[in-house]
Amino acid sequence: MAENNLCIALKQVGKTVNTPDGELDILNNISLDVKYQEAVVIKGASGSGKTTLLGLMAGLDQASSGEVVLLGQNLADKNEEQRSSIRAGKVGFVFQSFHLVKGANALQNVMLPLELGAIENASELAATSLQQVGLEAKAYTQVDHLSGGEQQRVAIARAFATRPTVLFADEPTGNLDATTGRQIADLMFHLRDQSGTTLVLVTHEEELLQRGDRQILMESGRLLAN
Amino acid sequence: MKLKHATIHSYWLMFVATVITVAIVTSSQLVTNRISLLLDRQASELLAADLVVLSSKKFDSEYRSAALEQGLQVSQSVSLRTAVFIDDEPQLVELKAVDGAYPLRGKLERAHDVTAQRSYAEQGPSVGEVWLDSKLGSIISQDLTIGEQNFAASWLLTYEPDRGGAIFNLAPRVLMNIKDLAQTGLVVPGSRVRYRLMFAGDQADIASFKTWLTTNLKPGEEIQDLENARPEMRSALERTRKFFALAIVLTLVIAMAAIAITARYTANREAPKIAMLRAFGISQPSLFKYYLGQLGRLWIAATAVGVILGWATQFPLQWALDGWFGKTLPQVYALRPYFTAAVVGLLALAGFSLPYLLNATATPPMQVLRTVVNRRSWSRGLLMTGSAITAVFCVLVILMQSSLLAIAVLGIVLACAFILPLILGWMVKLLLVSSRRRFWLRQYLLSRLQASSRGAIYVMSGFSLVLIAILLIAVVKDELMGEWQAQLPADIPNYFLINIRSSDVAGVEEFLRQRQIEASTPYALVRARMAQINGVDVDKIRFSHPRGSHSATHTFNITYADALPVQNKIVAGYWLSENRDPAQFSVEEGLAERLGLKLGDQLTMTVGSKTLQASVTSIRSVLWENFKPNFFLIANSELIAEMPQTWLLSALIRDQHKADLKQLLQRYPSITLLDISELMARVQAIVDKATVALQFFFLFALASATIVLLAAIQTGRHEREVESSLLRALGAHTSQLYRVHVLEFTLMGALIGFFAAAIASMAGWAVSVYFFDIEYHFSASLWGYSLVSACLVLTLAGTLVSRRVYNISPMKILRS
Repeated sequence: MAENNLCIALKQVGKTVNTPDGELDILNNISLDVKYQEAVVIKGASGSGKTTLLGLMAGLDQASSGEVVLLGQNLADKNEEQRSSIRAGKVGFVFQSFHLVKGANALQNVMLPLELGAIENASELAATSLQQVGLEAKAYTQVDHLSGGEQQRVAIARAFATRPTVLFADEPTGNLDATTGRQIADLMFHLRDQSGTTLVLVTHEEELLQRGDRQILMESGRLLAN
Repeated sequence: MKLKHATIHSYWLMFVATVITVAIVTSSQLVTNRISLLLDRQASELLAADLVVLSSKKFDSEYRSAALEQGLQVSQSVSLRTAVFIDDEPQLVELKAVDGAYPLRGKLERAHDVTAQRSYAEQGPSVGEVWLDSKLGSIISQDLTIGEQNFAASWLLTYEPDRGGAIFNLAPRVLMNIKDLAQTGLVVPGSRVRYRLMFAGDQADIASFKTWLTTNLKPGEEIQDLENARPEMRSALERTRKFFALAIVLTLVIAMAAIAITARYTANREAPKIAMLRAFGISQPSLFKYYLGQLGRLWIAATAVGVILGWATQFPLQWALDGWFGKTLPQVYALRPYFTAAVVGLLALAGFSLPYLLNATATPPMQVLRTVVNRRSWSRGLLMTGSAITAVFCVLVILMQSSLLAIAVLGIVLACAFILPLILGWMVKLLLVSSRRRFWLRQYLLSRLQASSRGAIYVMSGFSLVLIAILLIAVVKDELMGEWQAQLPADIPNYFLINIRSSDVAGVEEFLRQRQIEASTPYALVRARMAQINGVDVDKIRFSHPRGSHSATHTFNITYADALPVQNKIVAGYWLSENRDPAQFSVEEGLAERLGLKLGDQLTMTVGSKTLQASVTSIRSVLWENFKPNFFLIANSELIAEMPQTWLLSALIRDQHKADLKQLLQRYPSITLLDISELMARVQAIVDKATVALQFFFLFALASATIVLLAAIQTGRHEREVESSLLRALGAHTSQLYRVHVLEFTLMGALIGFFAAAIASMAGWAVSVYFFDIEYHFSASLWGYSLVSACLVLTLAGTLVSRRVYNISPMKILRS
């Protein structure tokens, strides 16, 4: 049973997928709690299962076994539609490849989750969010014309625009050079500190690892250190 | 590294598009050949032969022997006017004596009396019997004395294929056996007798015999074939052929658009693989060579399947048309349709796909590490455009019979290819600007339409082109055909009253007016022959037009009129009444073309022993199919009003007034009534047949359109999946995803439908005015169909094909 002060709770979670060679266990017996306003950083080698773990915690995928509780809701008995409702407006994402809508401008991209959640004053809130990441001057610039660093700033503005309870970030600096990556990390942690958002971050970067409240190390689908 | 394991992804769409192209060409070539042959044969029925020689003198055996040597069938008829006594009243009749072989084309129809069932007859009357025109039906089953011989009037002649060859000179027909003619004693030296020698056979044999005949023709003899026999039939056939040519080319344009779109899609799909292969050191020429081989194999396979498919489609068409024609389409045995189809398939495939693949092979190897835009150089862009234009032009040159039509179609296609992406791009931009800071769905989906990476604008342009072509076929099929038929109004005359004496004209008009019978203005007929053009004897002029000399040696029925006849249009010069010149001719444009006449040319005509000279002051277009009195030559009244003349008028005589006709003929015995309803029905039948055949090509157009649609939807599928996954991750519900797609495809459909209707309307206007000489009316239904069908088809097909997008896992966004 999830405790009230837990943002995310995983109990003996496993994930198995079917491959041409038979079933493959990606995650094995993972138990993990994330408190509200905590910053948890997950590290692991490629193929260790950290992205799968992030997906399960965010409700993007369903566990094969065990129990995942997100924001007090047990995801085990929820279908995709219900999990979407849980995420809407309360969960933010920052991806390694930014995943902005090409052809749309920065403001439209930031407005996307606000409008999805039917939040009023979407454009004002989106403009404020862009201001927070220092891109107010490029609100009407098409995202295709922005640099990699600027695109990730738009993605961060989009993630924080709904004032999410929890933010999931998957290698947010993976596609950026060291200097830009550091700036993006600073910005993300700064906004997180301001808003008190829970942060779950997957990374390879040692520097980012040190900035979390807690580090989790993964190997072959298991938690090595918590 | 060996390339043998590499394959062209998703090339099946390109394969299907090529199969359809080859099938369309095979089928259209086979079918149009067969329909043309059938139409020619039907037209030949109006001559009762494929070729006829006319003379006022008996033919010697030379022509018959030569024709029989070439394996042609030969028949002979003799016509003359004579009087017979019916109910003790003299009646002028057109006597026609025919041999056992008559008619060589078409069939005679006969009945026991006016109300009895009609039946076909394989040959004309037996010795000792005559068949009578329905106007002489009162004496059926009685004896009829013709000249010095009595005959049994055994049947009513209800249809005679070559009736109406000389439309203004027909008295009621009496048909007899040629073996009885001598015993009548009617053919004596000085009799006005018309001899017809008729020939039928294979097209090639007839053509070569005609060439021989033309060089051996004696003075006073005249060749008659379909071209110079019936202007209204010729006009109907030419228009039908134009309809076919246009429909086929438009269908082919759709199929080629399908190849272009699928080639683009295939090339885009190949780019990442090419980048990887180039990173491993495979040279660009090696890659190009490899893809060339793949395309070659694709062409061979598609040609084989397409040719078989095209050949097989003849059968459902034959089945469909048999119901209408009542006879089987004649077979055509030739390899040319298959060869043409293979060449067209190769041209289309190479022209549209090679440049794309060449561009794809230039994908930078750096793409394996990060997204690098494969920027097209100017030269490569030019190659793509030039190659596509050359392919389309070559195909049009191969297939089109009218060079003007070919250039016009190419113009429309180019305009669409260049202008449509621009207009659609601006339209989307305009919507984007106007919708800034509004509902996210609109912003989002408009940005999707604008996204150049997806090539949505080009796909939309391609689909617009397809819809334009389909709408144009629809315009051709419905609007133009309908318009053409509409020009034959409900009150179309069904009788010509001819041989009216000048002194009887007022009386006849009064007679008809009293009975409220609708009739045309009476026209005088002055029979004349053309003697000279610009002072040169016509028999010494070498006309550049193949029908020139035949046209010049005709007997012309010239009329005079103050007002331009209905549905005549002045195409050059001024109408007679607008000039003060006392000696003028207005010439029909077809005749002017055949004789090479232009404004100001001097024509010398002989009327009996008199000669008259006048200059050409106007050239007119004439709607021959309206069945109203139409004339090749119209003079001003000062010139010919005093010449010997008879009059004619056309009238709509309904059933309730038919009884009055007897009274009319008793009061004015010189008048001959000519029933033209049968001829009208024949022309209408040609239009109907053409419509059925066009519907068949419509099916091909729809099949090609489906391929374009599938390619269009497939093109953006990957991006759609990633975006849907992103929206899912951000908390979107299925209904929201569904709305995005429905709106995206509906908006796409609305834009496409709007522009397709606009361009099809413009093209429809141009085609009807400039090629078919038909007045074009704005069609609101065209716009309705275009908008509704584009929205519905795109939305339904788009949402159906994209349905797996709604179930996409949001995890895809993390993995992509």
